[in-house]
Amino acid sequence: MSLDNILNHWSDYRKGSEEGGHHDYEHRWAMAINLDICNGCNACSTACYAENNLAVVGKERFEKGQAMHWLRIERYWDQQDKDYPEQGASFLPMMCQHCGSATCEPVCPVAATYHTPDGLNAQVYNRCIGSRYCSNNCPFRVRYFNFYSYYESAWPEPMEQQLNPDISVRDKGVMEKCTFCVQRIRTAKDKAKMEDREVQDGEVMTACAQACPTSAIVFGDTMDENSVVSKLWKKHQVERGVYAKTKLAKKDKDLRGYRIFEELNVDPSVMYLDRVREDI
Amino acid sequence: MAANNRSANLNVQHRKGFVLAWVFGMVALLLAPAAIATKYDVNAPTGTHEGEDVAQPIEFPHNIHVKDNGINCMYCHTYARRSKVAGIPPTSKCMGCHKVIATDKPRIKKLTEFWTNKTPPPWKKVHDLPDFVHFTHEIHLKKLVFDRDFPVENVKEVCAFCHGELENMTVAKKVKPLNMGFCVGCHIANKELGAPGDCWKCHK
Repeated sequence: MSLDNILNHWSDYRKGSEEGGHHDYEHRWAMAINLDICNGCNACSTACYAENNLAVVGKERFEKGQAMHWLRIERYWDQQDKDYPEQGASFLPMMCQHCGSATCEPVCPVAATYHTPDGLNAQVYNRCIGSRYCSNNCPFRVRYFNFYSYYESAWPEPMEQQLNPDISVRDKGVMEKCTFCVQRIRTAKDKAKMEDREVQDGEVMTACAQACPTSAIVFGDTMDENSVVSKLWKKHQVERGVYAKTKLAKKDKDLRGYRIFEELNVDPSVMYLDRVREDI
Repeated sequence: MAANNRSANLNVQHRKGFVLAWVFGMVALLLAPAAIATKYDVNAPTGTHEGEDVAQPIEFPHNIHVKDNGINCMYCHTYARRSKVAGIPPTSKCMGCHKVIATDKPRIKKLTEFWTNKTPPPWKKVHDLPDFVHFTHEIHLKKLVFDRDFPVENVKEVCAFCHGELENMTVAKKVKPLNMGFCVGCHIANKELGAPGDCWKCHK
């Protein structure tokens, strides 16, 4: 690994979807989140904390916007003019969208964030120097910066025993974000490799998908045409690299799929299924 | 004087012949492992490291076990082919043999003491990778030994890629750098065999 190597292959990791993206994909991990059955219980967020060694920052730092939740539940009021019970809360789990042409990647001065052949938007903690460009360039605001050395205080003894050994505990000055539970993907791929086969659909389940009581989150590989995610994407006519999707007539209530900020050409890997509401 | 000279010349020639024979012998020795018919060849990683001596609770002689008795690495480090870590064998494995073998030796007496007290010997880790590295023994063994039809009885030659020649050591010592350059160098050299070059394959 020399500087030459980095400079020569720089552009391989810098291609947008219109150029074919990072062209030799092995997998393209993706999600489909059904907002109609999401009840905003926050189990996914809690599961994420447990799985990915996330520090609990406390109220004060949270208010400053220094929370470290890789997966947050965004709450919206559908009926702004009404009072609480009738206000119509709707929820949206928001995590790193693992964009096919991510805006965070080209701005990193040290290539700490790049696109993997798995279609994941990787963050290499060892390489990160904490410039925070990526976070500022992320339209989804899903990158979190370690302003403090949480490993010193966030897990007092014996709580450090709960830390997941498959993922490192991040140090101060490092950017972090949802990894689509890359440690689980890695384990599944290793296992498949040992058994000389491909990773099967349903073999990789992210912590949030696993914890979701209503199974609103589905995770899988969109390169595998028979995966549940692929079928959902196809069913709702959401396609990678297709941005200017003309929304079909509202009459067609079956087509609920959309990706957030699709119009920004970032090509997110998370498809949301719109809530179905009764006409008021 | 002349006679002396001649004898000196002879000596030199004799020595040359010896050196040549020695060189041929070494080359033959070096080629010997390559002579093992494998499905494909692999490039071993390069680099050396001067590790510190690690004081173990019992001075375990790898040389006696590996060289003198020819015990396979995976007889004791049985998890290497099944999991991420090679594993330190449980004391019961030691006692499997040492209940009857060499029971009068001081080191075995010490071992027996640990066994009867039901306390595991506090072995110290020698080859310790940083916590942010994902490394699996099983896949490396699969690629370098089993898929390649490399004779399992010679597995120590593959283990030596990263652990050095333990047959010539008593207590294990780190003799390979095991740093990123060491890993990546080997992965680049074996790219055709599918050695991944992606950062997130190993960095976690």
